[in-house]
Amino acid sequence: MPFSEKVAFFVTERRGLMWSVVVLIVVASLAILIAFLRLDTEVLNLLPRGFDSVEGLKTYNSEFAQTRELTFALLCQSEDVDKLEEFAPRFVERLRAQPWCVRVLAGSPMETPDGVRDLQRIALPLLLNLEPEDFDRAISLLQPQKIQERLAQLRREIESGSPRPEIELTLDPLGLIMPSLKPFAGTAAMETDQPLTSLDSTMRVFPTVTNQPTISAFDCQNLMKQVNAFRATALEGWDGGKIEVLVTGRSAYVAEISLSMRHDIVVTVLSSIALVGAVFFIGFRRWLPLLGMGFSLLLCCLIGLAVGLLIFHRLNMITVGFCAILVGLGVDFAILIYGRYQQSRSEGGGHRVAIADAVHSLGRAVFFGALTTAVGFLALVLSNSSGFIQLGVLIAIGISAAGLLMTTVFFLFVPRGEVPQRSDWILNLVRNYVHSMLVRPRPILAVSLPILMGLLIVAVVPQIPLTFEANARSLEPKNSRAGTALSLIMEKMPVRWEPVLGIVRATTEQELHDFWKAISQHWSDLQRAGKIKSYSTPKALALSPREMQRNRQQLASINFPAARDSLQNALTQNRFSADAFASAFELLNQLQAASAAEFKVPSWRTQLPPTSAWWFLVERYFAQDSLTTTGFVTTNAPVATQEQKNVLARELPVAGIPITLSGWSYTLTDLVPWSHRQLLLISALMAVFDASLLAVLYRDLRLWLVQVITLALAVAAMIASMKLFHLPLNLLNVLAFRLVLAIGVDYGIYVLLVWQRSHEVARDLTGVIKPVALAGLTAIAGFGSLGWAHNPTLSGLGIACAIGLFWSLAATIFFTLPAAVAVRPKLPQEHFELEHA
Amino acid sequence: MRRAVSFLFLLASFANGVKAEALLPTDVKTLLERIREKRAAAPSMQADFQEQRKIHLLDEPINSSGKIWFQAPNKFRVERKGNAPSITVSDGQQLWIYYPNFKSAERYSLAKRSPVDAAISAITTALNLENVEHTFHISGEKSEKGYDLELTPRNPSMKRIFQKLLLHLSNDLFAERTDMLQANGDRIVTTYENADHAPIPPGQFEFTPPPGTEVSTPLGKQ
Repeated sequence: MPFSEKVAFFVTERRGLMWSVVVLIVVASLAILIAFLRLDTEVLNLLPRGFDSVEGLKTYNSEFAQTRELTFALLCQSEDVDKLEEFAPRFVERLRAQPWCVRVLAGSPMETPDGVRDLQRIALPLLLNLEPEDFDRAISLLQPQKIQERLAQLRREIESGSPRPEIELTLDPLGLIMPSLKPFAGTAAMETDQPLTSLDSTMRVFPTVTNQPTISAFDCQNLMKQVNAFRATALEGWDGGKIEVLVTGRSAYVAEISLSMRHDIVVTVLSSIALVGAVFFIGFRRWLPLLGMGFSLLLCCLIGLAVGLLIFHRLNMITVGFCAILVGLGVDFAILIYGRYQQSRSEGGGHRVAIADAVHSLGRAVFFGALTTAVGFLALVLSNSSGFIQLGVLIAIGISAAGLLMTTVFFLFVPRGEVPQRSDWILNLVRNYVHSMLVRPRPILAVSLPILMGLLIVAVVPQIPLTFEANARSLEPKNSRAGTALSLIMEKMPVRWEPVLGIVRATTEQELHDFWKAISQHWSDLQRAGKIKSYSTPKALALSPREMQRNRQQLASINFPAARDSLQNALTQNRFSADAFASAFELLNQLQAASAAEFKVPSWRTQLPPTSAWWFLVERYFAQDSLTTTGFVTTNAPVATQEQKNVLARELPVAGIPITLSGWSYTLTDLVPWSHRQLLLISALMAVFDASLLAVLYRDLRLWLVQVITLALAVAAMIASMKLFHLPLNLLNVLAFRLVLAIGVDYGIYVLLVWQRSHEVARDLTGVIKPVALAGLTAIAGFGSLGWAHNPTLSGLGIACAIGLFWSLAATIFFTLPAAVAVRPKLPQEHFELEHA
Repeated sequence: MRRAVSFLFLLASFANGVKAEALLPTDVKTLLERIREKRAAAPSMQADFQEQRKIHLLDEPINSSGKIWFQAPNKFRVERKGNAPSITVSDGQQLWIYYPNFKSAERYSLAKRSPVDAAISAITTALNLENVEHTFHISGEKSEKGYDLELTPRNPSMKRIFQKLLLHLSNDLFAERTDMLQANGDRIVTTYENADHAPIPPGQFEFTPPPGTEVSTPLGKQ
């Protein structure tokens, strides 16, 4: 018994068995989903693997404290600047009182007594960490005579009215703290580097570290729930005009993205089902087959998700687009099969016979359609992006399942006694078109070809550019509050562009110190040579046990009692207040204690209180693992080109020191060639595969050429449309080209196979063009529904695919067929005779 | 008895006459308006000054004297005399302090929440008083010799500079004495004498270090 008849037998005579199998599949899939469902919300996992810059970004994003940092901003009207300044401390006080708030940076730590005191607390380890020559120079200030001279000089300068000695003596009465901070100098000016007040004073920014337990999406959502509750009451007491409380940061983004995933799933699936259902119903005016199609598609989604989960263990956010895409693709098979079934019934065939006929006639087309689409999506495996690899594999599984289910399970929903509709305006329209096209194909080509050629010219001329967005914003959710907040902050405080990160891991403290010492020296040379604008490194905080040991031995040569006496005398002689110099005596005591061999120098980490504002500076450089660190390089101009990136990649590293260069701008610039490769190389590979498959399938050069030209014109029309409608490509929607190739080729296969093999060309072409047109419209609707997704990656992909499929469908109907008729005219009789011969 | 009552009444009347009279908010507003008109008519001032600074680092106050030139809203030049002479010049953007004895000069950039704001705010606030009501809570008294105003900062950035500024204005509404209490407890009292409101040449508020002067920028890159 042929396969088509076996299918017809089981569907009509063994329905119980078929339903049992269906229930088994549903139960197994649901069990897998319930037991293993884990979602990966990390947006960085959408970027390809194998790039150091991407790995660096992931490390910075997950291991450094900025993952738990939120940035609050208050934005007021220009006339309320004074009120904002008055209100800000109350806001900070409320912020600090929140249970989720660990610390808030409300101003430069140097401006507060606590900040100065904290700095004095960590002076000892920082001083002992100086290079030998710097340390020797610094402690030479402890010679009694130098103490006397320095204080006498400062006293004279105070009398002259200089504010400098007061500042210096308040922070550093012995003159030892400033040298210990010297390696820190470029980074200590936090206020200059990262201003907390906008130039027009209408915005105040408050970086805040939270106690979020993990960086998971659910913890981000929980935190943001509390943060939003705080925002609702944070403005009590504000008596000015309109004021906004803005919040941004990783947690804000992740919470939004993960919540938008839910929105995207619901909206895209529902809209996809509604649109597809509407097209199906308009085409066939039947409810039960529509239900069967929906059920089969749902089953395909379940199978795809369950198998995907078993393969990948965790599904990325991008795979939420899977269901909508699968609905758009799988519906093609249902429409084709049902169209043929209906045609067979209308010709008087019984239920079982019509099923066998539909499967027999279109099984081959469905098989090749599923194959090309599955391979097209499987090509995403070459993208190196885990998100897109998952998407590709899931759709390949889903579409294969769809090919099988639409030729089997779908018929369980088609009633035996169904009577075809009497009046079918779509079929009539198609019949008229097919008739005209078979008789006079050239007039149709005379219209379609110039249009497609015109679009081809638009696609290739460089004067009309195709925008390519290679920035982080192109990946943000639409209308993102966190994104808007960040934009407003950047707009108000455009002090500098994003730096390049240099991430360094070491195995020991000494190694870390040596690494950063060499890197700092190298970057300093680059700065002097004008190759970079500035840099900052954790060198001062990366302690060197070797230097510290050596410097402590040097301390043994200091006569501390004499230094203490000299300090006391200098204070008395110059009428300084002894109380104001208590910290100087304290530091002398600490240094004397440190000179003892058995003394254990406390780590600066333990000396800084948890609420100290200096942690904001420290945590810029150190990950939770203190041997993972990062330095920052501000380039002479924002990193925007490959050439800049290549120069940095060549210049910044130091031989023998493993360093990972990263940062959003750097990474995205790094990824542009990858993205272009996606667009060109992999799409080209896909095209070669399709072309080879078509050659095997048709074994006819002219038909093969017609289809290949159709594909080229459809892709060109897609590019032209994106150019004309100013739709930008981004790093991820370039994948749309290969999807369009994979799906578009199916339409050609469906119609050209019928054209090539049919006994009754007019009847069979009419029978296939209607389902192809409906299938194309449903696929466009399925992909177009992704346009409603908040995630720009999904919406961009959906819109690009919808445009591409529109042109594929149009080119198939108005170019492929007339061209095939024009280049290979044949009469049905002729074909019939050939087959018999 | 009647004489005694009459005497007490006369005494009370006299006391009432010499006692300072508190200014109502509307009076303060009117006074500030008058000051603005005065400044508009005479934006320049030069005077001799005497200054006493009590700073927490020192056990005894530092006294200095010299001459000041001021041009509203924020240009000034201060020349200190004595054992530790210095010349301080500000054009509103930058502040130079030149020490002839050390042949050195310091350059500070203003309007960046610089720590030197405290050093200049007493001068610019007291001698200018333009829009001062936006930055300070102001209370005051009228006395025979003029007006005594107490300025308390409204916003935290100004509070970081000083807690309170007491200002005595003459009857013709020019500053005669300022008493500034800083946030860290330091206090600067300045008195102005021999005031003159003749125009001042712009070059007076410009400074070029003499050759051989060692120039430093103590607060880093400016």
